[in-house]
Amino acid sequence: MKALRLTARQALMEQRSFWRSPEYALFTFALPLFLLLLLGAANGGSYLPGHIRQIKVLVPSILAFGVIAAAYVNLGAKMAVPRHDGVLKRIRTTPLPAGAYLIGHIVSTVATTLAIAACMGLVGWLAFGTVPRLGGLFFLAAGLALGIVCFAALGLAVSSLIKSAESATPITNASYLPIAMISGIFDPTIGIPRWLSGAAAALPIKALAQVLEDAYTPARHAFPGTALAVLAAWAVAGASVAVWRFRRQTA
Amino acid sequence: MASPATGLAVEVRDLRKDYGERPVLRGVDFEVRRGEVFCLLGPNGAGKTTTVEILEGFRTRTGGSATVLGLDPAAQPAELRERIGIVLQECGFPRQARVGELIGIWRDYYPRPRPLGDLLEVTGLTEDRNTPVRKLSGGQRRRLDFALALAGDPDLVFLDEPTTGFDPEARRRLWAAVENLRGLGKTIVLTTHYLDEAERLADRVAILLDGRIKIAGSTREVARLAALPAQISFTAPAALRAKEVPPPDGVDLAVSGPVARCQTRNTAATLRALLAWADRHRLGDLDELTVTTPSLEDAYLHHTDRSDGEPPA
Repeated sequence: MKALRLTARQALMEQRSFWRSPEYALFTFALPLFLLLLLGAANGGSYLPGHIRQIKVLVPSILAFGVIAAAYVNLGAKMAVPRHDGVLKRIRTTPLPAGAYLIGHIVSTVATTLAIAACMGLVGWLAFGTVPRLGGLFFLAAGLALGIVCFAALGLAVSSLIKSAESATPITNASYLPIAMISGIFDPTIGIPRWLSGAAAALPIKALAQVLEDAYTPARHAFPGTALAVLAAWAVAGASVAVWRFRRQTA
Repeated sequence: MASPATGLAVEVRDLRKDYGERPVLRGVDFEVRRGEVFCLLGPNGAGKTTTVEILEGFRTRTGGSATVLGLDPAAQPAELRERIGIVLQECGFPRQARVGELIGIWRDYYPRPRPLGDLLEVTGLTEDRNTPVRKLSGGQRRRLDFALALAGDPDLVFLDEPTTGFDPEARRRLWAAVENLRGLGKTIVLTTHYLDEAERLADRVAILLDGRIKIAGSTREVARLAALPAQISFTAPAALRAKEVPPPDGVDLAVSGPVARCQTRNTAATLRALLAWADRHRLGDLDELTVTTPSLEDAYLHHTDRSDGEPPA
């Protein structure tokens, strides 16, 4: 019970700290919303092969981008900074279990991520009249759940590898933006070599966008099993690296 | 209360620590009594930080035993964390927090915290309660370090080189804070490079050298055990300077300028001889007659001197 209370308290504190740091709040909320409005207004009306309006793909793509920005970038940078500032060492002097601290961060990140996802969904509906299809709600829920787990795990993993507080935000941003581009997040019609798109398909960004897309567009394939499997595999990989690094650092 | 029979806050027996093949602690023994200020001294690399980190539960020992408040720190008991406070060197704060809020969060980590207002007052941060942590000065940050370490109202406080980089004013304020803690009945384990700090604050000191305790005891005992001579000085009478009276027998008196000095290992006998000599030659009372006993610093330099001979007098 006490550990639960401490975890909740820690999560609340992280939320407060998140909203007090303009750089995080801006990157996490303003950037995806801006991109959605901009790209939606510019390209949303055109048609993709198969007579799908591009906005139907853009909304879930940018939604995926929002999830990644909130879960991966946020957790990656926000866990690395206190470690390098010596805050983690200070916390280790207190009776707060390391788990409560870590889970508090994760809970806060999940809350932020769900908030941005809801925001994006709302803007997609209000600004562009785009809503997930009823039969796609399961994919939406599954994609969000697995996506958050996967990118939070990868965020923790990358935070454990970052060498200084100053490099935390640049490294986390630089490590996913190029992949987001080749994954067609910002432009689904992007023309890239076949080998590159094959590589992108094995990475979790494309996979998350794929699952969310299937929630919005009429089902082109029966079940996004491959994409969900890719997300799950990356979640396991991220969590393994994070656990291995945190164990080593606290030993 | 743990180990009430012995009244010991910390008990260290034959403590050993190897980093790989390299032994850092080679069998350290000391104890800290409840309610005292205990100071661990020693040159860099002697093993002070390693010893303290083992007691704090941050490092595991290779051998021997260590008991802190009756608990084994290696077992990482939550109870130990609840009852000790640690002031680390160079440790950051969460960037977005405010002073009062951060102390409030820290209080929540402990089962029996000290009141917030009390913590702010003891550390002189009452007016900075709503100040963002990143706007604090160096001295204020150090005081916040203290406030956080005291948040759980600990029985035992570890201070690792608390005044490194302080100006004299800030040092005195911190010393007052340590004395205040002692007044509250807290046990304090201190490491420091500054011997005047140890002499001023510590009830007992231990000098760690090459992974062993070279000597331990009250500051006076440690100074006395160095068996260094005391120094006696007085204003040299005009007759002595003019060589109208002979110097006293059996006393190695040196006159330089207006001051006469001698060193002695038997202060009382030397004083008697000097006064008798002054009486005999009608030199009156010896002006500014002063006995300087060896300081902790003299003793420290003597104990840590690696050359075998006596340090130059």
